[in-house]
Amino acid sequence: MAVFQECLQQFNKSPIDAKKCRSLLAKLLRLIYSGEVFPAQESTTLFFSISKLFQDKNQSLRQLVYLTIKELAATSDDILMVTSSIMKDIQGGDSVYKPNAIRTLSKVLDSTTVNAAERLFKNAIVDKNPILSSAALISSYNLLPIAKDVVKRFTNETLETLQSYKQFPSSQFELHEYYGNSTSNLPATSFMYQYHALGLLYHLRNYDKMALVKLITSLSEGSSLKNSLSIIQLIRYINKILVDDESLIQHLYPILAGLLKHKSDMVELEACKTLINLQHLIKDDQFMNIITTLQKLLSVPRTATRFAAIRLINKISFKHPEKIIIVNIELEGLINDPNRAISTLAITTLLKTMGAGTIDTGSTGGESVDRLITKMTSLMDEITEDFKIVIIEAIENLALKFPSKHKKLVAFLTDLLREDGSLLLKTSIVDALFDLIKFLPDASAKQLILMNLCEFIEDCEFTELSVRILHLLGDEGPHTTNPSYYIRHIYNRLVLENSIVRSSAIISLAKFASVCGGDVASNVKILLGRCLNDVDDEVRDRAALSLKFISSNQKKLIVSDSKYDLAALESKLTHYLNNEANFATKFDISEVPIITNEELKSLEYNKKVNKLDEGSTDASESASKDEGKKDTEKAGSDDVANDLLKQQEYAQELSAYPEFEAYGKLSKSTMVPVYLTEKENEFVVTVVKHFFIESKKLVLQYNITNTLPRSVLQDISVIAQPDNEDYVEDFIIPLSELKPDQTGTVYVSFSTPSIEDEELLAAFGNTVAYTNKDIIDEEGNVDERDEGYTDEYQVDDLEIVSGDFVTPLYNSNFTAIYDALPSYQSSVAHISGADTLENAVTKLKSTLNLLPLDGSDYVPSDSTSHILKLLGKDVWGGKVAVMIRLANSSGKIVAKIEAKAETENFSAIITSGAY
Amino acid sequence: MSLNTSLYTISAVLILDNEGSRLYANYYQNKPQAHQKDTTHVINSEFQTTAQQLKFEKSVFPKINKVHQDIVLYDNHLITYKQTNDVILIVVSKINENESLIYSVVANLFESLNILLSNTVDKSTILSKYDLVTLAVDETVDDGVLIEIDPAIIVSRVTKAPEANVKIEVNSNTLFNAFKIAQRIGDKLQQGL
Repeated sequence: MAVFQECLQQFNKSPIDAKKCRSLLAKLLRLIYSGEVFPAQESTTLFFSISKLFQDKNQSLRQLVYLTIKELAATSDDILMVTSSIMKDIQGGDSVYKPNAIRTLSKVLDSTTVNAAERLFKNAIVDKNPILSSAALISSYNLLPIAKDVVKRFTNETLETLQSYKQFPSSQFELHEYYGNSTSNLPATSFMYQYHALGLLYHLRNYDKMALVKLITSLSEGSSLKNSLSIIQLIRYINKILVDDESLIQHLYPILAGLLKHKSDMVELEACKTLINLQHLIKDDQFMNIITTLQKLLSVPRTATRFAAIRLINKISFKHPEKIIIVNIELEGLINDPNRAISTLAITTLLKTMGAGTIDTGSTGGESVDRLITKMTSLMDEITEDFKIVIIEAIENLALKFPSKHKKLVAFLTDLLREDGSLLLKTSIVDALFDLIKFLPDASAKQLILMNLCEFIEDCEFTELSVRILHLLGDEGPHTTNPSYYIRHIYNRLVLENSIVRSSAIISLAKFASVCGGDVASNVKILLGRCLNDVDDEVRDRAALSLKFISSNQKKLIVSDSKYDLAALESKLTHYLNNEANFATKFDISEVPIITNEELKSLEYNKKVNKLDEGSTDASESASKDEGKKDTEKAGSDDVANDLLKQQEYAQELSAYPEFEAYGKLSKSTMVPVYLTEKENEFVVTVVKHFFIESKKLVLQYNITNTLPRSVLQDISVIAQPDNEDYVEDFIIPLSELKPDQTGTVYVSFSTPSIEDEELLAAFGNTVAYTNKDIIDEEGNVDERDEGYTDEYQVDDLEIVSGDFVTPLYNSNFTAIYDALPSYQSSVAHISGADTLENAVTKLKSTLNLLPLDGSDYVPSDSTSHILKLLGKDVWGGKVAVMIRLANSSGKIVAKIEAKAETENFSAIITSGAY
Repeated sequence: MSLNTSLYTISAVLILDNEGSRLYANYYQNKPQAHQKDTTHVINSEFQTTAQQLKFEKSVFPKINKVHQDIVLYDNHLITYKQTNDVILIVVSKINENESLIYSVVANLFESLNILLSNTVDKSTILSKYDLVTLAVDETVDDGVLIEIDPAIIVSRVTKAPEANVKIEVNSNTLFNAFKIAQRIGDKLQQGL
């Protein structure tokens, strides 16, 4: 703490040695910026002695004093004591440190003292010196959270500044040798104050949409905004408005389109970004303008801009690869870019556009895939491993989206597998192949990959991978046409490998025996018999156990066709262990839902596809940010697993009410709460539907949030009126009180008709009834004598749709399932509210709550008809398959819906509800 | 990716040396403020403590050291940087920021330092003229808000260290020095012609 002592000594000296003090302050700052935190008391002492330096008039010293005060303000007490010195400087001080003073002031003020500085701020904002004006605007901006009311009064001054023209004072503050001794080399103004004024104004006005639109329109006319940063900010506000209200696109698009051609590439980039975010709102030819701009940006020398442009193109390629085929030539050039991130993105994007090309042009598209693969094969030798991993992922995705191309892609992957590589690289290849086996519909593809994997383990140095592959062979091999081929390979492992691999090989063999039976079983028995003399006891044990199971025909013990839902199991167990009282009874494993392999597959498929669509936008962005990538992937996959967990949570919440006890097991809850009000209303009401199919009950869970700051709501209930007479209300569990910003729940229970009845679907009219009492004091109490007034509040209707009764299901062979289902129903409908095939597909997917199969949710943008295949499982345990033929005739989407279901009557419900 | 409509653009400005240790580190918006209800003022909890900050620097450094790629995405941050001699200047922002803008910030700040430190941006100069460095950064970014990106203006806002109050001695030695300097300038002028 030598610096600390020295500071105290020097600063208290008189007269003050400016040079010495400035270098001491620099030392102090060095400590602060290295992460040193002074304890409050030391900091306050320092603060006090620094305030002595205000006696010295030296500009250079004063500027650094302000910086130090700013940095120390967060940790010191009694910071208010410097307020008057600072204010004096702002009023009469030197123009060099005035801006610093004003920026420091915002750190020193608190919500009680800010009023005193109001006049000062106003004057500074309209000051002719742009730097002072900027400083005042930034300070006001920083004060927003603590003194919004005061800052609001600056609105007029801010507006005035935004439209004014301010020049730097003729003598620059400090001239450095670099610029010689004249100011002619220096710019007259940078218009940064426009950026700051606009930023502040937005926050003062963003609750008034119309005023904001007006401001944007007036600013975009002519060239009133001269600063690139302020234009970027303007673009962002336009984006924000359009996200909230899409109907304004006609009005605002021309502004954005005009900015696609600007002298500054950051503005162009921002305009592209925004338009891509809003691409569902703009027409195809307008979209081409974006591509043209991006194409231009791809070839600029500045790495950052190229990177940004390719990032955007990559983003487009996830949804509309066909739209960027025209930049393929530029992309191919970028494969050899010195920036690795850029070349990675170029390749992954190319892989996407190649895929799209295949669909569009049929057989000729195959050649482009070939060409790219040759190009990549030659490149693969030169690039690093994390880069390779990204490419492997991209290839896997391509194969999943376009199963017809699998042969070439699988060949590419297996070639890569044979070459040298680290465990990480091999793992990612094997992972990709595993996924392909699971999700490719073609049986020959499965066989091809399995054979390649067999070859790989013949010569695999990684025990971990061998074990995984052996496990997979055990699962998949028995169902193929020539199981003996795999048995031979697996047996080779038994002879040649270490004990870990041997023991997993044994389990794998046992699976063959129990699934195939007959000759295979007796042969496997002989093989396993030989292992009973193995040197390793684990191997011996497993062999003996497997033999026992096979001979006693305990197929279930060897081959599992289902597993417990791990997330649910975990939460149940934690719940069980948290309370010792639970220990009296045994943990009931039957409460944990069991996931069959089929369901597991649909979960994984969902995860995969989600990752494909969203996660990978970021995931594949750059090989070098692998850690960040993992996070996004995790987030994506959690989503799916969470669904089941969420259901558990709901069940637990409901079980807290004795009224629901008799209802039995919760069959299904809707996952996403439906909003019945606007999100910014006085009350925000969301609803979750809980179905108890066995006992034929429906519980509506209304979550009500009170956003009124000055009112307490009491005796809240919801009156739900069904339009279907078969729904009979049982009871309501009302909410006794809701304070401001609190959320509470009202349950309404209904007896429902069963599937055999005519009408299963219904709509509910909802009204919230409550007693309103005003809050009279700061603690949020209400007047005891106040009886309040009762009121009713109507919210939106709630519909029970077919999607509430199904969960998405995955299967690689849609046609077979569809053909096998008995109950058939069809209808023709007009899809309202969708003007393109793509929108119609998205809409149908979400209303029907079914899983699209065979990549049928991907609509090439230029086609006029499309077939959507959807599969799911209903709450009665039957499968539901829906085939929808969509046609686009002059902007109207017509759909022929054919639904087949195992449960009688249900297909009719689907066809009637699907528009 | 939510849209950033606030003026808070920069998450941190860092200067690291060739071994990745700090010369200057300023993380914005992580200082505790009285009221944080306003959604525009989200605390960046990731860099709350010095330990978290150091961990971040430590993990970023190997990714950018001696790889002159200007820009990199790392762990949900957009990072732009400039490396010369034994120092790296780094500007960190959120991942969805305008890449070109953030790069301009780092390039122009770098240019400003270059001017202020008379074209010798290295560890020892930065430490000996630390006041100029801190002021330059402070005139570029205030609490995450960009103040100015034009290097000429940034530089002209930074005051030089005050002159020491020493008496000017005039003797043969100082005169000789002055003559030398004049001669050098003369040479330069001639070259210029």
